[in-house]
Amino acid sequence: MKIKTLLLVLFLSLAWLSPLTKAAAGEWKAGGIINVATIGEPPTLDPSVSTADVVAVISQHFFETLFAFGEGFSVKPLLAEKMPSITPDGLNYAIQLRQGVKFHNGKEMTAADAAASVRRWLKVAVRGKQIADSVKEVAAEGKYTVRITLATPYTPLLALLAMPTSMAIIIPEELTEGDLKEYVGTGVYKFVEHQPDRYVRVVRNDAYQPHPDPADLYAGKRTAYADEIRFIPVPSPNTRLEGGLSGQYQYADQLPIENYSRLLGQANVQPVMTAPYGWPMIFLNCREGMMANLKIRQAVQAALSQEDMLAVAFGEPEYYQVDGSMYPKGYFYHNERGLELYNQADPVKARELLGEAGYTGGTLRILTSMQYEFHFKMAQVAAENLREAGFNVDMNVVDWATLTQQRNDPKLWDIYFTHSPFVPDPYLNNFFNDGYPGWWVDSRKTELANKFNSEPDLRKRALILEDIQQLWYEEAANIKIGNFNLLGALAKNVKGYIPSSWPSFWNVAVE
Amino acid sequence: MKSYLGKRFVGMVAVMFMVATVTFVVIRVIPGDPAALMLGPEATAVDIEALRSRLGLDLSLATQYLTFLSDLLRGDLGNSIFLGGRPVLRILADRAEPTVCLTLIAIVVAMAVGIPSGIISASRRGSLADQATVSVAMGLASAPSFWLGLAFMQFFSVRLGWFPTSGYGDPGAEFLERMRHLALPGLVLGLVNSALITRFTRTTLLDILSDDYIRTARAKGLGEWPVIMRHAFRNALVPILTVVGLTLALLLGGAVVTETVFNIPGVGNLVVSSVLRRDYPVIGGSLLVIAGVYVLVNLAVDLAYLLIDPRVKY
Repeated sequence: MKIKTLLLVLFLSLAWLSPLTKAAAGEWKAGGIINVATIGEPPTLDPSVSTADVVAVISQHFFETLFAFGEGFSVKPLLAEKMPSITPDGLNYAIQLRQGVKFHNGKEMTAADAAASVRRWLKVAVRGKQIADSVKEVAAEGKYTVRITLATPYTPLLALLAMPTSMAIIIPEELTEGDLKEYVGTGVYKFVEHQPDRYVRVVRNDAYQPHPDPADLYAGKRTAYADEIRFIPVPSPNTRLEGGLSGQYQYADQLPIENYSRLLGQANVQPVMTAPYGWPMIFLNCREGMMANLKIRQAVQAALSQEDMLAVAFGEPEYYQVDGSMYPKGYFYHNERGLELYNQADPVKARELLGEAGYTGGTLRILTSMQYEFHFKMAQVAAENLREAGFNVDMNVVDWATLTQQRNDPKLWDIYFTHSPFVPDPYLNNFFNDGYPGWWVDSRKTELANKFNSEPDLRKRALILEDIQQLWYEEAANIKIGNFNLLGALAKNVKGYIPSSWPSFWNVAVE
Repeated sequence: MKSYLGKRFVGMVAVMFMVATVTFVVIRVIPGDPAALMLGPEATAVDIEALRSRLGLDLSLATQYLTFLSDLLRGDLGNSIFLGGRPVLRILADRAEPTVCLTLIAIVVAMAVGIPSGIISASRRGSLADQATVSVAMGLASAPSFWLGLAFMQFFSVRLGWFPTSGYGDPGAEFLERMRHLALPGLVLGLVNSALITRFTRTTLLDILSDDYIRTARAKGLGEWPVIMRHAFRNALVPILTVVGLTLALLLGGAVVTETVFNIPGVGNLVVSSVLRRDYPVIGGSLLVIAGVYVLVNLAVDLAYLLIDPRVKY
């Protein structure tokens, strides 16, 4: 097992490093078409209004942001020339734009466009609206400088401006009013055509002005090697897999992890793993019902065996990590505070806590969906863990659309299963939002969050996050199950692809 | 005849009205919210409510129903919530070609396999050929089409590379290229549906072959094949046509599983994806059109009886 793991790590490392060096050397020829099988039809092509990953994956090829993430979620300039100058009080951000960048309609991008775009983002985007109250003004200063003035310091601002979901896209000023009907950005590819449920076509933007910095994940120099990329919605994972194996798709996204071995040893296709990709989690209903009682939440926490849940959901240990930290090892924000409360699998302790809570056998309602099979499998294990601890459990298995609606009603559930990729800034985790289904409202959380958001020093932020993680565990409002990897299938003639949370195909060539 | 057609037309309007009403109510009663799905997993309740209001989903069910009916009377099935706000009719028109072509391929395969198999099976009742045919037909009828589809995909597309695995061709693909994408799903769908035709043909022929006029034909010295083809099969055509017609109508409504497995952008696939994302106007419009097609095909089959059986009068 250890040798397999080492080989996997070696393979991933080589796969990661090799394209960077070759891309830097410019060894690849331009041309060809990349067919990407995505997990489904994007609900919209306006990435500001949706936080759906599939929208981000597609639209990041024709829309760009002022900043983007490099390795390790470091924020780097993209349409901005450099990192902004920030006043010592953390309230004023002066963002210098790159000059000569053109929109796909031929017009040069100016500060007026960028300022209007950021204002639109604050108005329409899910993430933008979250901070709109903290923003006093967004204004153009001269032709190439945008100034953002805040009412209170807000350190995650740059991470939000770099996020691919609920994206702060920069578009021509004249398109910033009303619904977005034309997809005119500055991206390395240009939007051509959207045939719903068939494809979204983008073609190389020959007038693209890349950032001069070296390529660094989503940041730095972007080169369009392929003439065209087609994002093809293929909702059935088995069909994506077979299409990848047959060579019809150069990249098939989000395959069932158990297909890893089937992709190994293929002549034309290889597995690519984003490891780790994200974390499955349980939200507990802190607003209504039995979970409003802290002792009962702690009993749930004590009863669960995350290790069993992960093993049942993902199979081989190469595909997941039993890790309770908010961020995995190797990430800047990784810490181990509170982890003694993770993966307890202690039904005796859970029973004691239930006794202390005065639990009288009320039904614990688990809300889960089979559309994400791993959610369902984890919920089944959790249900057994909880029954063993003395809970009376009822599973409510619904489709994802139903779950996303029912979770908004605190009367309908006690715990539900979901998952998230690791987000660049810890504050983007949903449990920070008091209004997010789960409704964890706690004055200590708010106080720590405010401190965290106004602290510009990264090391100090990491220390504050340790306190937040400790509180997060003690309050058991949101329970992490572990880390899981994401599997894709990549044609062997595709070079330069770097596995990431939102697959991108610039700096990627077809040979 | 005119009075018959008139009655059928009135019946059709009543059926369509019922379908429209039931569909409207059912899709709004089931849980799920298109606004929540469109905004993504991190949307807040306030964002979701604002979008619901923009889409008119916050209006009372009665108001929404009256708007829907008045639009329907004007031939407007509404606009999709998700697919770029396009008119539902236009979306359905785009999906018609793959579904109609897939249906035609499947029905040709089903008839080409099912009718001869049924005839051979009936003519050699109790023989090894009969038992084999019945067994294969039962196997095909029992095999889940998603399993058969994936098995065919693995063998013919991945291993042999003869067909594309899925989809409906590249942008701007020629007609023949689009049909190449439909060949494998058409074969799967045809084989699955051939089972019913085989069994129906066999049973009907066996009934007819025991009739007196068949005995008379044999007594006149006619060979077995002329007896079967000229006398028995012609009389078996009416029930066979009924089965073929029903199969055709069902397939035109969208072969949901096959279209989903092979990722064909047809009507069946549209219905499934619309239900999953709760695209109310598309679900309602699609089901209405499917019901209309079903009723019309049935009418066409009933009229076709006039051509093949002179005893039938309306």
